[in-house]
Amino acid sequence: MSWFGFGFNAFGQICVQEKSVQEETSDAVGEVKVSVPVELRSHVDHSCCLKTCQIRASWSRRACLHESRCVWLAGFSASSISNDTRGCRDAIISESHLTLAFPDRIESWDVQRKDKTPLWSMEIIPQSESSGIWIFECTEHQKITTNMLLHVFCHFHTGVNLPLVPGGYIASKPPIFRSLAPHLQAKSLALGGDHVILLTAPGAVYSWGLGSHGQLGHGGLVSEEEPRTVEALWGVPMSSVAAGGWHSVCISEGGDLYVWGWNESGQLGLPSRGLQKAPQQKKAQPTELSDVSTPEEEPHDGDKHEEVFISIQAFPALLDVNPSSDFQRASCGSRHTAAVTTSGCLFTWGWGEYGQLGHQTFNSLDEPRRVEFFKAKDLHVVDVVCGPWNTFTAAVKKGVLDLKNT
Amino acid sequence: MESLWSKLSAALPINEEQFPLQFSDKVESSVVEMLTRSRHQLYSTTRSNNQTLYAQVVLDISWERLNTGTWRDVDKDWRRLYSYGCLFKVAALCRESPSEHEILQAVRTCDMGLLMGAAVMDNILQVFVRILQSEIRKTTKEETDYVEAKMSLKMKCHTFSKRMKIVVPRVPPIKEELAVERIKCPSLESFNTKYLVPLKPVILEGIIDHWPALNNRPWSLEYLRSVAGCRTVPVEVGSRYTDEDWSQTLLTINEFIDKYILEKVQDSQSGERAVGYLAQHQLFDQIPELKEDIRIPDYCCLGEGDEDDITVNAWFGPTGTVSPLHQDPQQNFLAQVVGSKYVRLYSPEDTDKLYPHQSQLLHNTSQVEVENPDSERFPKFVRAPYLECVLQPGDVLFIPVKHWHYVRSLDVSFSVSFWWS
Repeated sequence: MSWFGFGFNAFGQICVQEKSVQEETSDAVGEVKVSVPVELRSHVDHSCCLKTCQIRASWSRRACLHESRCVWLAGFSASSISNDTRGCRDAIISESHLTLAFPDRIESWDVQRKDKTPLWSMEIIPQSESSGIWIFECTEHQKITTNMLLHVFCHFHTGVNLPLVPGGYIASKPPIFRSLAPHLQAKSLALGGDHVILLTAPGAVYSWGLGSHGQLGHGGLVSEEEPRTVEALWGVPMSSVAAGGWHSVCISEGGDLYVWGWNESGQLGLPSRGLQKAPQQKKAQPTELSDVSTPEEEPHDGDKHEEVFISIQAFPALLDVNPSSDFQRASCGSRHTAAVTTSGCLFTWGWGEYGQLGHQTFNSLDEPRRVEFFKAKDLHVVDVVCGPWNTFTAAVKKGVLDLKNT
Repeated sequence: MESLWSKLSAALPINEEQFPLQFSDKVESSVVEMLTRSRHQLYSTTRSNNQTLYAQVVLDISWERLNTGTWRDVDKDWRRLYSYGCLFKVAALCRESPSEHEILQAVRTCDMGLLMGAAVMDNILQVFVRILQSEIRKTTKEETDYVEAKMSLKMKCHTFSKRMKIVVPRVPPIKEELAVERIKCPSLESFNTKYLVPLKPVILEGIIDHWPALNNRPWSLEYLRSVAGCRTVPVEVGSRYTDEDWSQTLLTINEFIDKYILEKVQDSQSGERAVGYLAQHQLFDQIPELKEDIRIPDYCCLGEGDEDDITVNAWFGPTGTVSPLHQDPQQNFLAQVVGSKYVRLYSPEDTDKLYPHQSQLLHNTSQVEVENPDSERFPKFVRAPYLECVLQPGDVLFIPVKHWHYVRSLDVSFSVSFWWS
């Protein structure tokens, strides 16, 4: 399995380009914006990152979780971070914090400083893997405003699932630990720009946080302090959730994709007013105020129809993807979305200014488009993880996959 | 002849070391790194084929931070960051003999920084935009002379489009018993005793006759174009801010005048003219040249606040702009400079008959369409007593704090409001 990356690379978090010293006019754009997917190389031994089993990305960094239970960082001042990460099971990274989950503890480090001890940590009393109940204590070390000690009973899921931790979750800004009521049966959690999406064991979706751009999916622009069910999805069991800067995505057990929130760059895959149309469709007098009445010139279409642009989608909408596909995984950047189908295709849409859509252009898109790079190289995409302005995908050679299945 | 770039760089610190980049802890070091790279490029002698790149990264990341949370809570440092991004972008655009298009882009970038950012380096964007504007004026003098002649004619004979729905009479007749009182140049004491203390509306005549805007530099479309035509301003599009299809956009003053005042461009499929309104914008902070043409009314000194706390807004738009019935938490002097406006006033005592919206966002706005009230939904409204007037150029209407007011422009209109306490 190989990992590929494309999009924002100003800190070398995707790849560091070899540059000759004499070259003065370097391809500055190519360094900062990677528009063609690049296979990730390990900084340790310059071989392919075959042993990487998971990637996490923040705006300026990338964290690789290796099979060897170590975490490697790439990107902005990555070399100066010298944590002992042996035995680490999971990690999440924000612009200011790196949180690591070990079998017996969870630690959160301030990634901008060279502290000897983590900013916050929590002990986990490990139980046998098959046990249904975990009991643990949580204490906070230095610099946290509230001091708490709690005993919580919760169900144990195979593997740690950051940002979920026993009793709650790790937030991207202080207070680091936020508690979650056990009755919610938290299964997985996605942190958006200023909002949170939660998937529960029975397949229900909850949301809370900032609602100003419809990203909570409750039908309005009101923010919520406590988890609230996304009622519009009631009755459809969901299998995964993802959250971007101001938008949210979830996938049903049946493989359907639902989107809601802000669509200013087409990140919902719905028609977006702000986007440039392709040159052949451009009218003689493009205006900034392209409004509801601008008809699309379709040669086969006889009558003019009004195109409706969606700026904010406050209720979840089912996304129509062409060709029709079953989705199994999705991830969101700050203003773009990427999703993997069960047949191994990667679709991307939304903000593309830094090449993060992988279509080898810097255009933004307001409808899902397949990333042809992987199909052309006979690669079957199995996973996708987005940083705010870039995208990382895991893929295997189709031949390998067939072998495995025989 | 000094090049544009030498004029701009004269406004900048002489070297990298003197160029300050100080931010609070809230701004992550990775973001500061981007700024540092931009600053380095600014002073570097090696040509880079894409100097706007790092500036754009700074703009993009600060734009995202500005849009996170509520505007009120946005850390000032993110707004400063945005201004720095604008600075670097302008420098990149103007470095090597920029075309007119690039200069206009640079002006727009300055305006975005002035509108959304916070002043940095002694408000350097204001300095930059002045330099850039004089560059544009040099090249477009001949063009403007010709267009000016055509435009002044157009302003004089304003005609209605047949497609426009006329629901209400063009100039409503003012009933004498409902007319707002008028008084010419009252003394401070007289105004205070008769109107401010009892919170009684009045039209003050003759108190802005000395404004350059009504005198030696009379405001007209041509004048506004010449002073600020290429400047970007926020425009409200849609009949009224309580409508579903209401939105805000950014246009240059030239584009706004062409599209919404002179109706040169038709973009509405249904044939109805869309209304655009440059409303409630602190234009005079953005364009100091226009600030020179107005004065703060002396009567504002009767308030408790400082002169610095007075909010001055511009209201510039075509016929038919409507401000729905609403109330403001401060005293208001509404000065009419160009064109005329119909204004209706309701006392705060009669709020119960005005059916304010329930929502937090619109609780200071009435649900009633004043000139076309739905008497079934709002039966008490017709019984609410009111005062009304038509403001002409030179009039200043005193709207006491919390007094409900409804405004409709009767022709191309430019008003200046002063909110004071």
